[in-house]
Amino acid sequence: MSSPESQRADGPSRLIVPAVVCAGLLAVAGGVAFYYASQTANRPVEAGIVTVTVGDKACDPMAITVPAGRSVFEIRNISNRPIEWEILDGVMVLDERENIAPGFKSQLATRLKPGVYDITCGLLSNPRGQLTVTASAHSEAERARPPLKAFIGPLSEYKVYLTLQSGELARRTASLAAAIDAGDLEAARAAYAEARLSYRHIETVSGRIADLENVIDPVAAYLAGRENDPGFVGFHRIEYGLWGTGGTDGLKPVANKLAADASALKSRLRALKLEPVDLAGSAVREAQRLADGPIISGEGLYSGNDLAEFAAAVDGLEKPVSLMMPLVGEASPTTAKSIADAFAATRAKIARFAAADARKRYADLPADERKALAASFTTLAQAISKVNATLGME
Amino acid sequence: MRFHGLCGAAALTLALSSGAFAQQANLDLVEPVAEYKLYVSEQVSKLVMDTTAFTAAVKAGDVAKAKALFAPTRLSYEAIEPIAELFSDLDAAIDSRADDYENGEANPEFPGFHRIEYGLWEKNSTDGLAPVADKLLADVKELDSRIAALTFPPEKVVGGAAVLMEEVAATKISGEEDRYSHTDLWDFRGNFDGARKIVDLVRPLIAKKEAKFLKTVDANFAQVDGILSKYKKGDGYVTYDKLTEADRKVLATAVNTLAEDLSTLRGKLGLD
Repeated sequence: MSSPESQRADGPSRLIVPAVVCAGLLAVAGGVAFYYASQTANRPVEAGIVTVTVGDKACDPMAITVPAGRSVFEIRNISNRPIEWEILDGVMVLDERENIAPGFKSQLATRLKPGVYDITCGLLSNPRGQLTVTASAHSEAERARPPLKAFIGPLSEYKVYLTLQSGELARRTASLAAAIDAGDLEAARAAYAEARLSYRHIETVSGRIADLENVIDPVAAYLAGRENDPGFVGFHRIEYGLWGTGGTDGLKPVANKLAADASALKSRLRALKLEPVDLAGSAVREAQRLADGPIISGEGLYSGNDLAEFAAAVDGLEKPVSLMMPLVGEASPTTAKSIADAFAATRAKIARFAAADARKRYADLPADERKALAASFTTLAQAISKVNATLGME
Repeated sequence: MRFHGLCGAAALTLALSSGAFAQQANLDLVEPVAEYKLYVSEQVSKLVMDTTAFTAAVKAGDVAKAKALFAPTRLSYEAIEPIAELFSDLDAAIDSRADDYENGEANPEFPGFHRIEYGLWEKNSTDGLAPVADKLLADVKELDSRIAALTFPPEKVVGGAAVLMEEVAATKISGEEDRYSHTDLWDFRGNFDGARKIVDLVRPLIAKKEAKFLKTVDANFAQVDGILSKYKKGDGYVTYDKLTEADRKVLATAVNTLAEDLSTLRGKLGLD
């Protein structure tokens, strides 16, 4: 681990000198020169065409080395059956050419990151060859500052998560409304707890949609008239009824409104456009918000279901961050490890409280224990806050 | 050395800088990629449901029912192939052909849909297929959970449109894929729907700049769609041998043109 790390540490400083000299020379030639010099100092290397011949039993050659970036392979099938040629990272296909008939050849142009990969050589039972992709100045630069393209996948995946979880929230709040309408207290309490978990999963982002947040999740402590305030609606109003005053009476309009607001939230999240910095940025903000308020004061004041909700909140924080972790791991393994450790520590703390105080209400936990949990969320926020700088976005 | 190389590269680019820069991928792709994953998730849920019924019929020894369920079950797999085939182990386990194995059909390792297809049509029997069916269902369920955990690579999503039409050109037009059952037109429909879905999702991003390209692609899609529809029977399609030579030729031309045209889609969206 330590030797590639130290090579990486050397990389940028070695490049600075020529880049600066280069830029200086070119600046003489024209005002735009510096810009282009800095843009192109690390231009990708393009390898020539690499020929791979696939016979009945093996590839020729069985070991290939190319620089990172775009490579063009020409696959010639001299075996007696149709083949597909794949570049594999574990079981994942990085790229492939299918259905190359016997006697035919086919080209595959692909972009590869540094690493050691397998190549397939005809029959599934044939031994595989090895493709080694070596780092280039360009791939090293992209490691420290991934191109915009690298964030499309993570942003899309987070969007899918928000869509699915908010769909779940809409369904679960509808079930809650149905249980309340039926006057079934037990079913309503169970549906409430479930719906809260979905809400916690998306709160990292939905907490910033202020108008809906204010009708879905206001807490009595922030309202002038507390529980009697007309603004006391949404989840906690229902919680207050189901646990505080022990009945479903009068909750029907509140529950119907909550279900409608949850549907509105789902549409709003589907239309939301996030930027690469938002994935870690939202998680930092939410982790800190939890540390500053809800973890200290408790939020399930009537249901006492705080720990399950906080565990769900950690899931909600981890989703967007986990999508950045492959990039963070490439740019800085130390940062990646500190984030993984902070998540594990926070989860462990929640689990320990949950196990030790199964019958205790969260509100009865001693203040210093709640403070310790809050500190864990602060550490988590600090660890995640390194992500954007690590990826050259600050 | 490095110094000269860098300066040379920079100067060269400076000289070329008046020319057009390649299209760069941008965040407008986030929506189509997310929508595509939602589409694939729905299709794979359907695949799990359909495979459960199909493998149950195989295990019950009900040859007629298993035959009837074979092609409709495969439809959703064929529609999501650009993603499904990213998992090399599962793709081989679910959809490999006898050609991939030494001694072909006689090789006991030959698994998945086509192993069952071979038994049902060539031997008109489900003998020995129960473990193959169990394994197929387990693999399809595994595919479902792996897809759920996968961040879709945008170039695979956009490139998938061409991959699907190449798949049609290479394996459906020839009748290679479903060689025992001749249900290729169903798979053809799956590949076709999957390709059109991708084009429809990225359409807003290129509608203005690539109007002419889209017009050609749409015309070819419409032609293929029209011919496929002629061979509809009930909820599905007639066997591949019913396709007339004239229609096969028109399909081949349209499909090859589509495969070629759609292979430029990645470049148009800055993903090459």
